[in-house]
Amino acid sequence: LFNAESALASEGNFPSETVLVKLKSNLTKTPIVAIDVSSIKLGETQTGILLAIRGAVVWKQGDHYNYLRLGPFPFHITDKNQDEICGLLRNSNQTLCLRGHMLPNISQVQTRLTTLLERWIQEYVNQTTDNSLMLWDGSLTAGTPETPAKDMEQLLREARRRRNTILAFSKITRLLLRGQRITDLGAEQPPPWLLKIENYPVFAGPMHLLGNVYVAKLTAGSCAFRLDVDRELPNETVIDATQRLLGNEVLSQSYPEALRLAHIFSTFTANEVLGLQRCVVKESNLRIVERPNIRRLLFDRFGKGAEG
Amino acid sequence: LRLYRKEGATVQIIGFPNEEVGKGDYLTVEDRQTGKNLIIQVIDVQYANVPGLLEELLRDHDDTSYVQGEDLDPLEVATHIAYIQDARLLICKTRASSNNGELISTCSWLPPRSNSAIKKLSTEKLLDHSKADGYLVHLGESMEEKQFHVDVRALDGSLNIVTGKKGTGKSHVSKLLTLSLISHGAPVVILDINGEYAGLGQSIDGKVNEFHGRIHALTPGQNLKVTLAQLKLRVMLNILVNALHLPGTSAREFKRIWYSLEENGNLSMRELGEAIRNWKCNQHVRDALFTRYHTLLSSGLFTDNQAQATTLDDSLLKARAGGAVVINLRDTSIVDRLIAVEYVLGKLVDLLSTWKLRAVFLFAEEAHLYLRETYWDDIVTRMRHFGVFTTFITNQPDTIRENIYRQADNLFLFNFTNENDLETISRASKVDAETVKSVARDLPLHHCLVLGKIVNEFPIVVNIRKLDVQAMGKTRLFFSEID
Repeated sequence: LFNAESALASEGNFPSETVLVKLKSNLTKTPIVAIDVSSIKLGETQTGILLAIRGAVVWKQGDHYNYLRLGPFPFHITDKNQDEICGLLRNSNQTLCLRGHMLPNISQVQTRLTTLLERWIQEYVNQTTDNSLMLWDGSLTAGTPETPAKDMEQLLREARRRRNTILAFSKITRLLLRGQRITDLGAEQPPPWLLKIENYPVFAGPMHLLGNVYVAKLTAGSCAFRLDVDRELPNETVIDATQRLLGNEVLSQSYPEALRLAHIFSTFTANEVLGLQRCVVKESNLRIVERPNIRRLLFDRFGKGAEG
Repeated sequence: LRLYRKEGATVQIIGFPNEEVGKGDYLTVEDRQTGKNLIIQVIDVQYANVPGLLEELLRDHDDTSYVQGEDLDPLEVATHIAYIQDARLLICKTRASSNNGELISTCSWLPPRSNSAIKKLSTEKLLDHSKADGYLVHLGESMEEKQFHVDVRALDGSLNIVTGKKGTGKSHVSKLLTLSLISHGAPVVILDINGEYAGLGQSIDGKVNEFHGRIHALTPGQNLKVTLAQLKLRVMLNILVNALHLPGTSAREFKRIWYSLEENGNLSMRELGEAIRNWKCNQHVRDALFTRYHTLLSSGLFTDNQAQATTLDDSLLKARAGGAVVINLRDTSIVDRLIAVEYVLGKLVDLLSTWKLRAVFLFAEEAHLYLRETYWDDIVTRMRHFGVFTTFITNQPDTIRENIYRQADNLFLFNFTNENDLETISRASKVDAETVKSVARDLPLHHCLVLGKIVNEFPIVVNIRKLDVQAMGKTRLFFSEID
């Protein structure tokens, strides 16, 4: 405890591994584009699982926002078609799940398909815009089957070439610094500010962190977010991009409105799930199988945790 | 259609946009295994409480100044989502059940959710008219836009109420019922407060119709005049006591005067006036009698001229084989109206009690304007036994007492939007309050919820058919005249 306290930087009691940057709004007109993708499990069939994915791109134009919703796209994943589906989104040999005579792992497949569509939209938007701020949901972590490091590096390179700055906001982070969640740092500092976490490890197992990690507290309120920005960009560019965001975007609880809208437009409501289930049943003649919740059956109200 | 819930007599059905079911429609819930049927009626159509709908509506709001965009939906999933979004919840009431085609008014069984077939039930199938040959009356169109008939005999011996807000078609259905009764040979007496029934004998274009010779319109003081000799003392006392509020002491003196005049063969208005003037009695009694005498004189209903006198009996007897006597009370003062009605009802009871008339159908529009308080019970109980079968027509349901509603055999209910009116009707009608409130509130113009024995106790919404008769009951308008 003593060591941690003594390590706090003099200004604002930040740890020494951090650099605090106070921000000012930059009103220079800058296009802002936000991307988010959501997925949901629709149910199970005799041979596989049903998923739906939808992406949303939101961009600010003057005082209002435009959106383009892509989907929803329902998928029936079986052990036979998973590679084919993967190939539809990305020309690669990635496998979605364990091979063999097994049903696909739902959470794994769902995450991978969602990320694949997200990267696909991000690539597309990146190739069609320049001098823009691109707001992503999540981090700049690569090295997963659906986001190989070389693909993400290519994406960031293309963004730099087009003078786009990618700001990736994570709603939830598990990163700790000296035992403290990084987004809890600097609670007493008046916003707006950026806190750069220096020397954060680039590799963690197979994972490759392609961005510098910041904590962004852009407006008053209780929320601060982990912000990942391309490691190759100079500090000045990052600061400038964040200040342009301050000057061009509506921010509520430090979160950009365009990204909030992208999330809302991509998320599935319960009614949409019903509609999608109906669509699948009507259009594909698939029968959704109601599987009993074994935990519930065995343990009644004590049967918590995932179904199955 | 899918069975969702049943709670008491309320059944909830999930419906989808492509299934056309509306308020008032009948459905059968058939247990495929046992063949039992539950007969239910839709009384309300609501949006199904689809989860996540609020989020969707908030997200897709139409504030185009803030967010606008487009959807790339190659699989057209949106239509399926909209389909779910527009799912409806049909609130139904159980009306009966049937087992092997036999109707049972109680329904103590629960149809299975998984194995029930829900279908629309036509009103034709609901009402068995196999024994009504020759007595069917075309009332209008049912919800499924088919001709709707009722057995006119259901009005026989019945107390009926026609109610609804102004201009919804009450008088229209009353005229339809009147003409139906006439065409089936029944005598009808109409207490016509607005003078709108006299034209029943003429078509819209002014030509005489088949009913022309059967409608006898009588206006008190004009072609409805009587001599005292035609009256019975009981009727005259009813007029004096009930319509003109003559105190008991004065009524006793009047009786003596009447007997005296009768004995001497001098029963006339002129002699009555003289007798009151010269009668030995208390001055207050004389004054009271004189006041009433002058009211009777000024009503114009009484005459000493035999040639001017109308025999209401003749008109009523003419209507015996199918006709209507219309007592036109339009443009008559309140007191004169009370006098005329007392006279007509007294005369009816006379004819019925001596079996000169077998029965009569009495149509009373806005009866609170000319019927004394105590007469209501009299009409629906005592006079019913004499054979006076009344139909009350009103746009103010609270003017009819609750006990009258409870005794009503048939109710023709038109649109009401006023909460108090709906509350009054719902408390008193023969069907559950929820049905009345929900259905009556949304009834379109000329649509009527028919309740009672005329529809075998199955509440049915009917679009009342048009009549080719002179309406005359239409409101006189200022601007239409100028145009």
